[in-house]
Amino acid sequence: MNELFLVRKNLFRKPVRTVLLLVSILIAFLIYAFMTSLVTSMSDFNTKPTRLITLSKINFTETLPIAHYDKISRMEGVAVATHMNWFGGYYQDPVKGFMPVFAVDPETYFEVYKEDLPLSEEVKAAFFKERTAMLAAEPVARRWGWKVGQKVPLNSNIFTQADGSRVWDFTLVGTIPTPPGSSQTGSVLIHYDYFNETIDIGRDRIGWIPFLSTSAEANDKVIAAIDQRFANSADETRTNDEATFNKSFAAQLGNLALVLALVVGAAFIAILLIVGTTMTLAIRERTKEFGVMKTLGFSSGSILRMVLGESLLLAFLGAALGVLLAVGLLAAAGSMPGAPPLHLATPVLWQSALMAAGLGLVTGVLPALAAYRLSIVDALSRK
Amino acid sequence: MTSLLNQIATITALNLRTIPQRGWMSIATVMAVALATLVLLFFLALSNGLSKTVEGSGADDIAIVLREGSNAELNSVVSKDQLNILATGPGLRRRDGAPVVSGELLVIVDGIKRSTGTAANMPFRGISADGISLRKGVTITEGRMFAPGTNEIVVGAGLLREFAGFEFGKSIRLRGSEWTVVGVFEAPGTVFESELWADIAVTQSLFDRPNIFQTMRFALNSAADLATFREWAKADARLKGLEVLSEREFYAKQASQSSGIFMIAAWGLGLTMAVGALAGAMNAMYSSVAARASEIATLRIIGFSGVAAFVGTLIEALILSALGGLVGLILAFVFFHGRTTSTLANSSFTQLVFKFDLSPSLVASAIVFALVIGFLGGLFPGVRAARQRPLLELAG
Repeated sequence: MNELFLVRKNLFRKPVRTVLLLVSILIAFLIYAFMTSLVTSMSDFNTKPTRLITLSKINFTETLPIAHYDKISRMEGVAVATHMNWFGGYYQDPVKGFMPVFAVDPETYFEVYKEDLPLSEEVKAAFFKERTAMLAAEPVARRWGWKVGQKVPLNSNIFTQADGSRVWDFTLVGTIPTPPGSSQTGSVLIHYDYFNETIDIGRDRIGWIPFLSTSAEANDKVIAAIDQRFANSADETRTNDEATFNKSFAAQLGNLALVLALVVGAAFIAILLIVGTTMTLAIRERTKEFGVMKTLGFSSGSILRMVLGESLLLAFLGAALGVLLAVGLLAAAGSMPGAPPLHLATPVLWQSALMAAGLGLVTGVLPALAAYRLSIVDALSRK
Repeated sequence: MTSLLNQIATITALNLRTIPQRGWMSIATVMAVALATLVLLFFLALSNGLSKTVEGSGADDIAIVLREGSNAELNSVVSKDQLNILATGPGLRRRDGAPVVSGELLVIVDGIKRSTGTAANMPFRGISADGISLRKGVTITEGRMFAPGTNEIVVGAGLLREFAGFEFGKSIRLRGSEWTVVGVFEAPGTVFESELWADIAVTQSLFDRPNIFQTMRFALNSAADLATFREWAKADARLKGLEVLSEREFYAKQASQSSGIFMIAAWGLGLTMAVGALAGAMNAMYSSVAARASEIATLRIIGFSGVAAFVGTLIEALILSALGGLVGLILAFVFFHGRTTSTLANSSFTQLVFKFDLSPSLVASAIVFALVIGFLGGLFPGVRAARQRPLLELAG
């Protein structure tokens, strides 16, 4: 009969109590793991250290002249550049059918976002060749039941064609596979040339310029060179690496880090109180038992270890269940149409382990010390 | 009946008087319920404050025209020709024979959020000279209105509180030209306070959007004229693809779009935390029943009913959770009620400044929320208390 056996037996001697404690611990870790991953996912999806973005300095919704793209692609430190426009696209219903449709320069787009576009050469060739061709992320095509080869009419909530029509016909030439973590789960890609020729306003202007630098070390220099080049022109620029851009975008929603800290803090204070007081009670109930064990020759040290072991086991079990549930919920939420790619943020794993250890120690240390100090006479005489 | 009530009162009193013996556990329950309530209220107050500000901006006797299907002002495009046709419509209020109208263009510029130092989207709106009179409750509190045809800006007081970069008297460089902030305006409790205003013609030319408007505002003779104006616009082929809304309808639509995410966060996180608090409450109540097992057994033997034991336990749980709800409410009022904050309103894609707002109905939902936790938390332990077999308990 080793200590671990006793720890396990003790933990489940009052199953209802243990299950209730596990539920409250699970909830706190679920909130922590889910919320942290959600916030991280907003800025963390498929970034690449050498991928930078040039935008209008006024705001990212302002456009830039196409000439900026030509100038930037020829600059030193820029390996390859592409450009993108927001189409404001929707399918059938302006609200339910809304989707991120981007007008891109096909060849260069596939170079800058190579890793995210695992497409066969045939599909690529088909997309490059036909001006009205369209690519859609698999989940998007599946949701609307689009088949490859089919004509898809898309509306724009911004642009109108020269003839007054607001519907563009595209041919779906393929779908973009979206493995977990893909940044393309909601994307639809169309040709910039076709878009530019048919729109009524804002011709020859582009939304933003993603490009690859020759190396991450060169980033600062490239950023400074580009922004200086357009300084004091009508279209000044702001260049950032992808992660910085995503982060600043997420920051617009509010001080997410603060809200996250408040909510997670509230959840953990609550369980700390619940688990701490319950553990104290659970150990006090067993005072007599400890007296008997000490009489039988169990050392005070081994009793201390058993009590701490019990609170640690409880905390780790609850944490593991909470993180597992978070993984499930993230997968479910991430597979909803239009949702950003969601996955458990890796740091959550070790941080949860650390927090579980802390929770187990903090809630177990006082009862464990009390049991450690207990004298046999006191223990046996206590009612 | 009276005796049952007496029994319940006796057991409840016994339960409550013995709470101090289980002091820490009771406090843990109260705090867990308080924190769950606090989280719920945090997001509900955000959602409510946001909706109230957006909805509070709308009047019934102002018509707003934008591109149909654009859903948001930012996507809308209306031409100058359409503006001129619309200005001849029926039901419009006229001043000196000319309709009171403002064709407007919204562009987004970057400001700096004071609390975090990060860039944020600011709505920069070109308006006509009538633009200010087409918005209720706007007063210039510092400096003056912009002069037509100049690069002058007036800034909303709400924006100024939360964001840096547009202070009174400051010069700002946008698209290669200098703009000066010449005035500050207030419009308490509306979205207008979160905006920057400048002359429409200057905005159009400097932002390279010649003759393009996004929305148009028309003053109506009365709210009843909206239908007439709308029908008239619908019948004119030259105005095809435009949508006519009252200002109230326009903002009500935006409010429901913007506050949705906070409602999801409120109930998603609130209910999740409630499950945790519920587990804690049940735990505490089971312990309470166990601790008083011999007292309850004694009472049962001298003739107290199981129902009394059940109700007594339930009442204890309800009192603890109500106390928790109350603590949560007090914390909410102390920490965030009335505090100013801002978020990206998803309809306009720009920052909107508003206040956390705890309405009476939110206070009521918080109390009900806490009591439901208490009720569920006391239910099963109460059943256990009622089902105890008295002799076994005493023998043990």
